[in-house]
Amino acid sequence: MTENATAQPAAGTQPLLSVRHVSKTYGAVRALDDASLELASGEILGLCGHNGAGKSTLVKILTGQVHPDGGEIAMRDAPVELRDPLDAQSKGLAIVDQELALAPDLSVEENLFLGNFDLSLLRRPGAVRRRARDLLSRIGLAVDPRSPLEKLSIGERQLIEIARLVGRDARVLILDEPTATLSENEIERVFAVVRELVREGRSTIFVSHRLDEVLDLCDRVTVLRDGRIVASRSTADIAHRQELIKMMIGRELPPPQRSEAAGVAVGAGAAIAGLRVPPAVADFSLNVEGGQIVGLTGQIGSGTSQVLRALAGLEPDARGGFTLDGGAVRLGAPAAALRAGVAFASNDRKGEGLFLEKTVEDNLVATRLDSLSRLGFIRGGALRETARRLVDFVKVDGDRIGDTVEHFSGGNQQKIFLGRCLDREDVKLLLLDEPTRGVDVAGRAEIHQLIRQAALAGVAVLFASTELDEILDLSDRVVTMFGGRIVASLAREETNAALISADMTMSHERKEVAL
Amino acid sequence: MSTDVATAPTGPGPARTGAGGSREAATRGAFYGAIAVFAALILYGAISTDGFLTMTNVRAILSSVAFVGMVAVGTALIMISGNLFSLAVGSTAAAAAMIFLALLPHGIVLAFAVTLLMGVVVGAMQGFLVGGIGANTIIVTIGAAGLIQGVALWASHGATILPPKGDTSFDWLNGHIFTFAVPIYILFGTVVVLDQFLRRSRFGRRLKLVGENVEAARAAGIRTAWVVIGAFSIAGGLFAFAGLELGAFNESGSLLIEGTQTYDAIAAAVVGGIAITGGRGSVWQALGGAILIAMISDILLLRGYSEGIQILVKGVVVFAVVVLARLNRMRAES
Amino acid sequence: MPDILRFRGPALRPFLTLAVFAIAFALLPQYATGEVGTANIANVLTSFAGIGLVALALGLTMIIGEYDLSVSSTYLLGGMLAVKTGGDSPVLGAAIAVAAGLLVGFVQGVVIAKLRMSSIPVTLGGFIALLGLVYVLSNSKSVNYSDLKVTLGLNEPVLTVFTERSLIAIGIFLVLAGVFAFTWLGRDVRAIGSDRKAARTSGVRVDRIVIGTFMSSAAISCFSGALLAYSLAYATPNRTVAPLVFATTAALLGGVSLSGGRGNPLGIGCGVLCLAILNEALAVTGSAAYVTYLVTGGLLLIVTIVDAPHLLRWWRTTKAAENLRAGFSGRPPAEAATGGAR
Repeated sequence: MTENATAQPAAGTQPLLSVRHVSKTYGAVRALDDASLELASGEILGLCGHNGAGKSTLVKILTGQVHPDGGEIAMRDAPVELRDPLDAQSKGLAIVDQELALAPDLSVEENLFLGNFDLSLLRRPGAVRRRARDLLSRIGLAVDPRSPLEKLSIGERQLIEIARLVGRDARVLILDEPTATLSENEIERVFAVVRELVREGRSTIFVSHRLDEVLDLCDRVTVLRDGRIVASRSTADIAHRQELIKMMIGRELPPPQRSEAAGVAVGAGAAIAGLRVPPAVADFSLNVEGGQIVGLTGQIGSGTSQVLRALAGLEPDARGGFTLDGGAVRLGAPAAALRAGVAFASNDRKGEGLFLEKTVEDNLVATRLDSLSRLGFIRGGALRETARRLVDFVKVDGDRIGDTVEHFSGGNQQKIFLGRCLDREDVKLLLLDEPTRGVDVAGRAEIHQLIRQAALAGVAVLFASTELDEILDLSDRVVTMFGGRIVASLAREETNAALISADMTMSHERKEVAL
Repeated sequence: MSTDVATAPTGPGPARTGAGGSREAATRGAFYGAIAVFAALILYGAISTDGFLTMTNVRAILSSVAFVGMVAVGTALIMISGNLFSLAVGSTAAAAAMIFLALLPHGIVLAFAVTLLMGVVVGAMQGFLVGGIGANTIIVTIGAAGLIQGVALWASHGATILPPKGDTSFDWLNGHIFTFAVPIYILFGTVVVLDQFLRRSRFGRRLKLVGENVEAARAAGIRTAWVVIGAFSIAGGLFAFAGLELGAFNESGSLLIEGTQTYDAIAAAVVGGIAITGGRGSVWQALGGAILIAMISDILLLRGYSEGIQILVKGVVVFAVVVLARLNRMRAES
Repeated sequence: MPDILRFRGPALRPFLTLAVFAIAFALLPQYATGEVGTANIANVLTSFAGIGLVALALGLTMIIGEYDLSVSSTYLLGGMLAVKTGGDSPVLGAAIAVAAGLLVGFVQGVVIAKLRMSSIPVTLGGFIALLGLVYVLSNSKSVNYSDLKVTLGLNEPVLTVFTERSLIAIGIFLVLAGVFAFTWLGRDVRAIGSDRKAARTSGVRVDRIVIGTFMSSAAISCFSGALLAYSLAYATPNRTVAPLVFATTAALLGGVSLSGGRGNPLGIGCGVLCLAILNEALAVTGSAAYVTYLVTGGLLLIVTIVDAPHLLRWWRTTKAAENLRAGFSGRPPAEAATGGAR
């Protein structure tokens, strides 16, 4: 496939952006190896690759956040040096990150011109408002330029960010996973805006894991693997995302492994009745039996995360019934949930999960200090023994049990994090939010194995994931949410990727099928 | 372990080999560094300042450490819990001195108990505001300082409180054992007990977890509000105890007694190397910082510098320490 | 019209608070002994002049999401420097005070901006060191200012209710309010407080503005100290944090949030006026000194509690709060608890 690596863009004219033989090495790791690509004006290029393939390094180089070790970048054949993100922006290369560069306390128009140097020191409200209205109309957003940004939805904010970059005359717009946090409607809107901008002669690089969207939006797609560009093809030549996946991993996807004993109910499990978490969850009722793995899926904003957080006691506004093995669990109190046998692993490993400056041992025992102490004092022997057992269980190097967690890789950090929740005699319900976020293929298999083991031991598992492969691979039952409600709850045998995708988006076909 | 290699390209993470030992080495380095600083300061004092290395002077230094160390240890607890420091240290101590002396006619046991209880309760209330509803520590503690001063003024009618004439029940607090003042022994005893408590108890472990990342601690089922309330309560008790000793020592109590204790306490904790961002540190470090600050003050005093210069130097030292700690951290991260 | 002058939403709140305080004060004679007249307004404006600028100085740093503990020292330092150096020319003394403020603000601002440090530990060091400096300069004693003409001039009534001194303070407030309303600087300042990373990524010159804010803050605080010292004819070293209590309360009442991104000079001015009215009310009713401590300390705690980020979480999820809620609604707690869990 590598022979396609330098495939030229469709138009034979002078390319808008050229990346020539760019490399970047971190320590012993070659993050980007002799990457070359070209982008014609008016073209939308998809950038695909697994975690660690070099996508983010390339993006960081293109936006001036990282300086390449070798090679050059040219705009309209003129080599440019990108000193920092602002410098890159002034040369026409701008990025819309998942983390938007907007200030929520400011108004829309104040945000539109935040950091612009072309404004006179004195504010001229009339002129500014005209410019703001003009920009807003170009992205088809009908909001009052004076309204505070915090009143806007995430999707609208993303459009504001795009409008701002357009206002700064960005020639190449890099969208880094822009759709991860958007609803289907909002995604359509963003895509429409992107298509409109491209018609004006701008170009877009679309970085995404969502392969169907890539195939839908892009003219051409470039695939990275292990720091190298392995393919660059017109999307017209790609019939199905399965082909893209093959390019990304270089082999066929292994058939999903199913654990034999899973699905056999051992304990009583959890019963959730009429759970409400305003405004994200309208109504959620579900039984999860002991030993069962239930996969919860839906687009970001569908409420899956909030369901898990509510059951873990982390949503103060949650109301509804929640019993575990027949006993009622109070909502809104994380400590009460833990005592009742609920273990929760947040999707925000660094912010709400691990204690990065503490040792592996400290992290592994953080949730079980009660059972490891007597009269308020820690039983040192028991603590060390438990930590030792857990570190073996999650297969992290036992010699590093005294190291601080910040020195571990993402995959190992995630295993340590899960180790805290798994294998507790007193865990009855395991709640996992995106259990393999930021983890590579090998680490993912290990983590899935750990989750299956927990289920085999009789724990009820409820996990949320936005990745269909993971949902299909792991679940005994798949529950799909949309707009804060359950729209489908099907046994694994009864469902498939196409059906789940349709449910997640509430597409027409599915509704017709349901009728 | 293959995961290490595979995920490494996403960021410039440090090589994994040997990284784990670095913190231990850093701790050891900091320990030797502290010894070196002490040795240098003692040497400097001995050479440059007459009367520094005399028993009388050592006794004087330790006497001031006895008070400052106590409030520094309390401040250390608040700092480890991730809530910066209290600006109500001096007010709490001054109020404690006044309460203790005023209650002496009812017997020393009652006076002791009520004084300490006042400290604990006042601390716990601030702890609730900080840990329970997330109010800003600095603001809560200056507000509390204002309230404490108001109540003290109201109750005392602005007068200085004196112990009852001829009352000798508290004289033992001012006594000496083996040439050193009794409060020194109390301080060392407190530090030993508290250090062991923090090491061995569930509370101690939780305190450090909450101090490093309060949201993660909450998600891990730790009742973070109670941990913070606990830290503030113990701290409040220690502030009150220091005030009580100070009242007994001065044999008078008024709001003026607070002196520079608030700043000394914070300076000692910061100079002792307790992370102002929380999660790390021990009460021994606070004690070390208190001794260091007391030695610096003593040298300045012996050489005839004014109170102003002493405060100035403390401020500069605090400034330097927090900036150096930050530079150190930045170097470690890059 | 500039946005800042279109009062609506949160921007309106300080003015409403001020109105409540003013009306309550006007109604005071009905409930307590004492007269209310123009003399009271003059007194309110005098105390506005005395401490308003410190609130403004601190408030500016709070808008960018920082907190300058050292204002209570720069305030003293400004007064001391002015009294010591302004004997021949009060303007020179004030200029020296302002220059010292700029220097202090520059050093602290550079450390905070360039090392990406939290302002509290940095300004704590500055606070203690400068307090020491004030004691050194004053030899731990009050220092008198000899030029009585200056003192009398500053306190001379203008248009019945104003004094030269209160007009100067009001003028500085208006200048800064103008900067916020009519230039992009005010927006950049709020953007930094709202989301510093976003501001930086957007190209706002964050470091410069942070340093500039700390310089303005310390300069205003020093100038305010100089103004007070001239008008009292002395400067005194004093280690209370009373100015900090007052300034923080005023800023919070004035619509500034501790989390940053909100507030403007006019709002802070309203907050200061609220407290000045409160002070005057305490004076009119002949309240003792301790009442002032209790009221200001209590008020600060109340506004802090209202501003606290997790107040609602606590209120909605804690058992103790559940009992409280039940108490308010008159239902027994058990029933309320099950009602909540249903």
